[in-house]
Amino acid sequence: MNSMAALWASIAIGGIAQILLKRGVSGRIYFSRLPSFAWWAGLLRSGWLWAWGISFVIATGLWLVALSRIEISYAFPLLSSSYVLVAVLSKWLLNESVSASRWLAMVVICAGVILIAVA
Amino acid sequence: MPSISKLQEAPVMLETKVPSKPRAGLRVGLAEVALLGSIVFAASGHLLIKEGLNVAASATMHEGIWLRLLAYLGQPSVFLGLCVYGIGTLAWIFAVSKREISYLFPLTALNYVVVALGGRLLFDESIPLKRWAGILVVVCGVVLMNRSSEGGTE
Repeated sequence: MNSMAALWASIAIGGIAQILLKRGVSGRIYFSRLPSFAWWAGLLRSGWLWAWGISFVIATGLWLVALSRIEISYAFPLLSSSYVLVAVLSKWLLNESVSASRWLAMVVICAGVILIAVA
Repeated sequence: MPSISKLQEAPVMLETKVPSKPRAGLRVGLAEVALLGSIVFAASGHLLIKEGLNVAASATMHEGIWLRLLAYLGQPSVFLGLCVYGIGTLAWIFAVSKREISYLFPLTALNYVVVALGGRLLFDESIPLKRWAGILVVVCGVVLMNRSSEGGTE
């Protein structure tokens, strides 16, 4: 497999995994500060959580494949593009309100990650 | 009789959004503590796993893939690392249950800061000036992101 394709697939699937996780837990409310044991056990019966787990494993596998051929300093800043993907998907699919200040914060964080990677 | 199209043109009551009161300081609830915990645990888990893999890889260089995998998992630090990583994952799930994902996910960039500072403190690795600048920018972004936090539960 083309290693750049593996890298981008890993980033995309990793981002989608976070949306699946959020969708999975947001249907399960709890009223105390901490969720009960039954809440945690209930996650094991959630299709969303299983989908998250599977996509997480696939994304990690693809990431390792990509890293075996691509320099880590090149791959890491690209990873931060998944923040943008998650924001777009969460707005579209989960109705999250992504404010202008949140977009700005995201851009600043991405810039910092790029600086760390190239240093 | 008003036509249907006329009805559709009727003004729609606009939902007025009350601006949330700006916070004076940072929002540090259970979710934020759990997020930080998940980052520290994931980073320590990775470190332990890597440490164990280095030992096991040299010991089983000429074995087959399954034997090697078994040897990896049998390494105490790999096993411990996986457990620590698992605790970090539980903390992350907990944080996600309390906050928006578009808020939480970019905050995981703190991982780079934790790894850089951990390397400096534990292994005496030097941090080049450019990387310090990057760390500072990430931290600024994290503070900005924290201030954009709304909703969720405490």
